[in-house]
Amino acid sequence: MTALAASLRSDKGLAAGAGLVAFFIVMALVSVLWTPHGVAAIDVDARLAAPSFKHWLGTNHLGRDVLSMIMVGARTSIAVAFFAVGMGLLVGVPVGLLAAGTRGIIEDAVMRMSDVIFAFPAIILAILLAAVCGPGAINAVIAIGVFNIPVFARLTRGAALPIWTRAYVMSARTAGKNNFRISLEHVLPNILPVLIVQATVQFSLAVLAEAALSYVGLGAQPPAPSWGRMLAESQTMVSFAPWLAIFPGLAIFLFVFGLNLLGDGLRRRFDPHRIAGLI
Amino acid sequence: MAVSARRRAFGILLRALAALAFAFSFSSAALASGALNVGVQLEPPNLDPTSGAAAAIDEIVYANLFEGLTRIEEDGSVAPLLAESWAVSDDGRVYDFKLREGVRFHDGTAFDAEDVVFTLNRAKALDSTNAQRPIFEMIERVEAAGLYAVRVTLKEPLGAFPTYLGWGDAVIVAPESAATNASNPVGTGPFKFQRWRKGASATLARNDDYWGARPALDRINFIFIPDPTAAFAALMAGDVDGFPNYPAAENLGLIERDDRFRIVTGTGEGEMILAINNAKPPFNDIRVRRALNHAIDKRAVIDAGLFGYGEPIGSHFPPHHPAYEDLTGRYPYDPLKARSLLAKAGYPNGFRTTLNLPPPAYARRGGEVIAAQLEAVGVKVEIRNIEWAQWLDQVFTNKNYDLTIVSHTEPLDIDIYARDDYYFQYRSDAFDEVIAELRGESDPARRDALLRQAQKIIAKDAVNVFIASGPKIAVWAKDVTGVWANAPVQANDFTKADVIGRASAALDDHPPRMAPLWPALVVIAAAFAIVAVFAKASPAYLASRALSMALTLIAASLVIFILIEVAPGDPASFMMGLNADPAAVAALRAELGLDKSLIARYASWIGGVLAGDFGVSYTYRTPVSELMAERLWVSLPLALMAFAISTAIGIPAGLAAASRRDGPGGKAIIGAAQAGVAIPNFWLAILLVMVFAVTLRWFSAGGFPGWDAGLFPALKALFLPAIALAVPQAAILTQIMRSATIETLREDYIRTARAKGLTRRETLIRHALRNALIPVLTILGLQFAFLLAGGVIIENVFYLPGLGRMVFQAIAQRDLIVVESVVMVLVFAVVSIAFLIDLAYAIVDPRLHGGRR
Repeated sequence: MTALAASLRSDKGLAAGAGLVAFFIVMALVSVLWTPHGVAAIDVDARLAAPSFKHWLGTNHLGRDVLSMIMVGARTSIAVAFFAVGMGLLVGVPVGLLAAGTRGIIEDAVMRMSDVIFAFPAIILAILLAAVCGPGAINAVIAIGVFNIPVFARLTRGAALPIWTRAYVMSARTAGKNNFRISLEHVLPNILPVLIVQATVQFSLAVLAEAALSYVGLGAQPPAPSWGRMLAESQTMVSFAPWLAIFPGLAIFLFVFGLNLLGDGLRRRFDPHRIAGLI
Repeated sequence: MAVSARRRAFGILLRALAALAFAFSFSSAALASGALNVGVQLEPPNLDPTSGAAAAIDEIVYANLFEGLTRIEEDGSVAPLLAESWAVSDDGRVYDFKLREGVRFHDGTAFDAEDVVFTLNRAKALDSTNAQRPIFEMIERVEAAGLYAVRVTLKEPLGAFPTYLGWGDAVIVAPESAATNASNPVGTGPFKFQRWRKGASATLARNDDYWGARPALDRINFIFIPDPTAAFAALMAGDVDGFPNYPAAENLGLIERDDRFRIVTGTGEGEMILAINNAKPPFNDIRVRRALNHAIDKRAVIDAGLFGYGEPIGSHFPPHHPAYEDLTGRYPYDPLKARSLLAKAGYPNGFRTTLNLPPPAYARRGGEVIAAQLEAVGVKVEIRNIEWAQWLDQVFTNKNYDLTIVSHTEPLDIDIYARDDYYFQYRSDAFDEVIAELRGESDPARRDALLRQAQKIIAKDAVNVFIASGPKIAVWAKDVTGVWANAPVQANDFTKADVIGRASAALDDHPPRMAPLWPALVVIAAAFAIVAVFAKASPAYLASRALSMALTLIAASLVIFILIEVAPGDPASFMMGLNADPAAVAALRAELGLDKSLIARYASWIGGVLAGDFGVSYTYRTPVSELMAERLWVSLPLALMAFAISTAIGIPAGLAAASRRDGPGGKAIIGAAQAGVAIPNFWLAILLVMVFAVTLRWFSAGGFPGWDAGLFPALKALFLPAIALAVPQAAILTQIMRSATIETLREDYIRTARAKGLTRRETLIRHALRNALIPVLTILGLQFAFLLAGGVIIENVFYLPGLGRMVFQAIAQRDLIVVESVVMVLVFAVVSIAFLIDLAYAIVDPRLHGGRR
């Protein structure tokens, strides 16, 4: 804990990133209990109000409070990104470990299958999947998560291969441990830093992807607020109600910015040379 | 020496790419006066109004290009057109039409009785794809009674027959040209077809041989702008002279204050309703339906959903019609009453239900208000936003829905409540009798009474919640005259329209020039060959890479095909529109080959692709390869431009950041790059439009004039989109370039170079840059593929007719074959670029020769 505090003090980028990310997570958590106004509350008479003391960030065309929507939107954004990255980790890491541990046909199959997925431009694949499965938060998770699987599978394999040549793996093998146990007890702990850094990067990409999908109407469905859809809805009104386009965009930008700072800071904190060589 | 040879290889490659991008014949656009640029929301699937129900077809060709025996005037009355006059027999079954003489079709063939007989027989035939076939089926026989006389015998009296003949579905077509009207319509109207730029615009030009009064306009350009934001931006930027149906009511306040425009409000035929599945519990209980009627505050829905532009209605009938019966007081807004009705029906605590919302803003916005109002009486509503294709499939065809919001725009369509099997699932013998009587009635007073009775019955039965009749809101530039205010039919009659004293840039007179796909393929193949030769790659290595590339492509094609096959929505019923006849839909399915098995379709698709034939688009009925080639001339230059901008910013910025890594300059660059990576490109695009197009007016807000308009206007139209696309990519490139350069600067040979007396700058350029480019190459290659595909959202913000946007439209229109082919081409681009990068590695870094990385 003190080591963490020390590195936050010494690394301003890491501190700023951690601060921004923490800010959005706290905002999302607070929104579960409290928002300035009811997020679904419609007040047709107070629609399109400019930012004021009553509505800090103004209201939209239905009279909904923009700040409240951004707070709840953070929840959607974090949840979708969290599960999409989680899906990539949960499937990709075991597959990557398996590939590195067994080599041969399995490794080839894993690499070729990720080639196939990487052959699709990410946004086109996500739009295709979301269009096929129908729009919605869960399908957005799948659409984004599918692309994360080969990312983590390849990374895990690449990072795990050199570990297998280490002396301690040899001695573990002579001690009678099988590949499964070696992967779990020796390889995984050693590649964890790489995975954490990459997970942060993928998280920020997933936030952007979620925003893009909901911008084109394939993300979380109304009345659940989402930043991307708020932007899409604001577009026709941006010339006379600019706050509708500025604040949700700013939220996406700051959150992704914070995540990137955090990822870079973490990368610096862990051995920079080793990680840079593997990614 | 190998270095110069390799440099030459890159030179050739670059020149080849430049040739690819600019292999156009530029011609300065002829400035024509009297061209009207009309914004329309939807692009028609084809241009033949007799084989598709889409309103978007009639909005372009009705009265302008095609003419019927009769026509509907602006006030809704019926007037003679190609029939000078007609007489009805006493029993109301036999109509004798006297035809106009001296009329010619646009292809020069003469119009006579044979054309009328052909048209009506074609419309009533068993394999007819006419969306109103049930009406034509009431014709017993059609015969020519002379060169300019036609006798039509009906199976039973049909009072409104001359009105039906004035609809777009009944325009007269010639046997010589009927088959090709979908893509090259030939009619008798005052304007003839000139060109259709898919995804962008359709152009009609004046027919100088027209039989009637010569129209004032030289040309009409219909520009397709589906997005409300883009509509506003296009208006502000002067890209269009107006919209007959303005899609973004929220901007009207702003437009009203702008003295360049005027708003023309007319009566519309649309009834916006909350449609209820009457057959599905709990909605089969009339008390529940009445509760919904009491629960909804129509005024609030109109304010929020239609921005106040609408009039509450109490039945399925527009208030401007003489036979309108005011039933708005039948179910006053009363949440308490709604709750008590629900309690009586057995739902004291309400129930859960779903609300399907198609794309238009009135549905999406109004739907949120309605959902909130229903929650207030205890009905928990789950909102589902769906595309039109899904709506047609799930709601309209399969009746698999609870509630939906839609605007019925056909004039006088109350008879849909008498159709068995219509999606409301409403059955009423009393109502059916009224409609049956109405069909045979031609006495105006009696018809009026029957129509009023029909309105009362469906209001009493609370079939749906009848919300509002939306006005037709048009926005026109001040100098546009002679346009219709009202829309008794779904049409935009421009025969009397004019723009006064203005020259506007118009599309040129050249026939549509095909942009072929093969030069692109030749360049790609050449690039492969050049790179392979100069990489001195071993044949075995080449073969193994080529094999893995082929396997990847096959696997990807299977993934695409399967994904798209399981997607919901039937293309045929989507193309035929709302009130289409099931038999017509089946005929179309067979025509498109949709009735064949999965495997047969995959085989024919992939076989065609290998032969360079991507098949024929379901919606546009033109070869997919042509469509793609057209779009590629937008997407490819856009990607190249964004690529150039991104590289021009990213490489120097990355180098600078690396050489001053600890100084303030380096830190500032890194900060800016960090920020750039985090900006969503569509947000940047919105901000750019608002600043540079709407406020400063330096650029047009979107659209693409075409390469024919000249190099500069075309590049200018691509500039803002390219910036929006390039900035986040440039930031990524800066970061990669910086870290790669820093890595390189640590190498021994850099120290040696410095030691032998080279300056920092010289070392950087001569040694570091070259080696740092190795990891950067991968990113550059990936970027190009991303820019090509990733433009999908940006192309939508700026309504550029590019590949990415085509995929989106095709998904929405269920044009499966286009989606498959475009995604396949993008995948091919990604895979072959990866292959090229592999080979390029061998050029830049001879150490990697031949071996696997």
